[in-house]
Amino acid sequence: MRAILILTLKDLRRRLADPAGLLLNLAIPLVMGAMMYLAFGGRGGDTNAAPVLRILVLDLDQGPVARAITGASGNPEAARRLDMRLVQSREEGLRRLREEEFAALLVLPEGFSKALLDRRQVELELLKNPAQTVMPIVAQQITEVLSLYLSIGARIVGDDGARIRVLFEGEGWTDAAGIAALITSLRDRVIDMRDLLFPPLIEVEKTSAKKDTGGFDLIAWLFPGMVMMGLLFTSVSQMGDLLRESQQGTLRRQLTAPLGAAQVVMAKVLSVAIVVAIAFCLLVAAGRLAFRIHWGALGPLAATGALVVLAATGFAALLFSLVRTERQGDALGGILTMLMSLLGGTFFPIEALPAWMEPLSKLMLSRWGHGALRILAEGGGWEAVSGHLAVLAGIALVCTALGVAFLGRRHLRGAL
Amino acid sequence: MTANDGKGPPLRVGEVRFSYGKTRAVDGVSFEVAAGEIFGLLGPNGAGKTTTISMISGLLTPESGQVLIFGGEASGASGAARARMGVVPQEVALYDELSAAENLRFWGQLYGLRGAALQDAVRQALGLVGLTDRRNEKVGKLSGGLKRRLNLAVGLVHGPALLLLDEPTVGIDPQARLHILEVVRDQAKAGCAVLYTSHYLEEAEQICDRLAIVDHGRVLAAGTVAELRRLVGEGPVVQLRGEVDADRLKALAGRCPGVGLLSCADGTASFSARDAAACSGLVRELFQAGLKLEDLRVQEPNLQSLFLKLTGRELRD
Repeated sequence: MRAILILTLKDLRRRLADPAGLLLNLAIPLVMGAMMYLAFGGRGGDTNAAPVLRILVLDLDQGPVARAITGASGNPEAARRLDMRLVQSREEGLRRLREEEFAALLVLPEGFSKALLDRRQVELELLKNPAQTVMPIVAQQITEVLSLYLSIGARIVGDDGARIRVLFEGEGWTDAAGIAALITSLRDRVIDMRDLLFPPLIEVEKTSAKKDTGGFDLIAWLFPGMVMMGLLFTSVSQMGDLLRESQQGTLRRQLTAPLGAAQVVMAKVLSVAIVVAIAFCLLVAAGRLAFRIHWGALGPLAATGALVVLAATGFAALLFSLVRTERQGDALGGILTMLMSLLGGTFFPIEALPAWMEPLSKLMLSRWGHGALRILAEGGGWEAVSGHLAVLAGIALVCTALGVAFLGRRHLRGAL
Repeated sequence: MTANDGKGPPLRVGEVRFSYGKTRAVDGVSFEVAAGEIFGLLGPNGAGKTTTISMISGLLTPESGQVLIFGGEASGASGAARARMGVVPQEVALYDELSAAENLRFWGQLYGLRGAALQDAVRQALGLVGLTDRRNEKVGKLSGGLKRRLNLAVGLVHGPALLLLDEPTVGIDPQARLHILEVVRDQAKAGCAVLYTSHYLEEAEQICDRLAIVDHGRVLAAGTVAELRRLVGEGPVVQLRGEVDADRLKALAGRCPGVGLLSCADGTASFSARDAAACSGLVRELFQAGLKLEDLRVQEPNLQSLFLKLTGRELRD
């Protein structure tokens, strides 16, 4: 046991003396996570951070309906989502569309209110910004919904539309009886529509979820995959030291000392596991601090961490027991890590894979590793994560046992 | 037999054999090294020296034969035997990221040293190889010669009673070589049994008490340097380079009493002469024969001539 400790401490001292390789491995998931964070404007689940729709409106109508539309941005709730600016001409609208990164220019045509209240067909014009991809589509969809609601409103108003238009034009206000009749008529129409409109068949329940745990959190979904990928890269690069030592003769020299090959191999596995565990702690801390990911209770996180670390280390031990040179191991390790990440659902949901790939995906270490971490990030506890932990334990046990056995055999053949 | 009963000589190798696949690397090598003795294994690259050392140090298990260290079996987990043995491999097997002292401390710990004893051993080893001033320098920053010295120090840090040195002076400058040879001699004087492999003839002649000349995994000759020289004969050796033809030179040697053709290949030839008179007769015959010679040398018999005599070829680096 003392020999294993001495060998392990030696490796850790070497890592500390030259930590560049380890830091590079850790930087990969952190940089990828940071890029995703920036690309998606922060946490995916934070509705307050949703991008604002910036839209220009050219009101050629100046009628009551157009004023109702342009006044929407005065609503405080709408103002958080909508940045609506009026322009005086089409030219100004097109110029600002180009220069000020607005998503679209909505043109309310002349006579829009009149036509709508007279129940005549009318067109809204929307000019989308070709330099943007997502927000112009949002603007289009909102305009389509607006059109639908305005059409419904016009049909509810029915024949009273013309009278309403006249009132909005500032005439007919002296006819109190007429106004009363109009209001009564409108009330009756709305009441008639009551059975059609109320109660709504679908209700949206809005609750205040606990901070940072509600909704789909894209970063909390993606980052565990990055963590798993980073751990696999780290374990592969660290385990390569076994063949590096073999190449430079220090491994053979160790084997001339009074200790067995099993001790040498076990010490290497242990030192790699410690470095991977450190990497895990740093990545988890980075996820918490930089991306505000909650990893849940310490117990399940510690157990998941331990098994993920052992499984990644076992995978690396098995890999390097089969390859002949460090370069082969690095190359194959990189390919296998990417393959496991792709098939294991690091970058996209497993459901997106073709059906025939699904069984293959279950063989991927990454799937179970980042799967467990995702469960924890989504608030799951022991019960939710136990299945993943059992699979990880199995992978760790089988890979480590095979790796150590194969490396031992290589030593007996004099090939280490 | 116990791992180390302390009854036998430091090292006894008996008829060991080892093959890599179908290639026989060591074929029945036997020798013994006594305490305080430097025993040399001399042979060209691929002669089986490193394989022999690997079997002694326990890295390889002989297919047949026996390696006894202080009377105990070397193969298997005979930790006690290995603890008394120091191995200096041909490659510089050190950790570049660690300092000279850290390297020595690590290897000392592996051999069971700890505490004050470890610190003393590290200090002594650094002093032995003249690296005290560079103790805190990272090995990666040391020159090749200094690395070689540290490589030797690692083999000595635990005070071994048997030291295995596998070509410890390969690729270093003469000054560093002299320093290493001096340290090895001092170890032997202190009672350490030393097995020294080399393909440098002068070095082996200079340092070894006894030698075994090996080639193709076999011991061709063994004994003290004086005994080996006598195998060639007391007289000088004539070496020539130029237009040489084996049949013609054989006939020429036949005409000279006391002269024998040792080798003839690749434009070079060597003759052994019984005495100075025989040597003069040979030289006269060579000039009279009108051979186009580029070089002709007369040398005292040495290990090079013995190797020539035994193998029919020169021992080169």
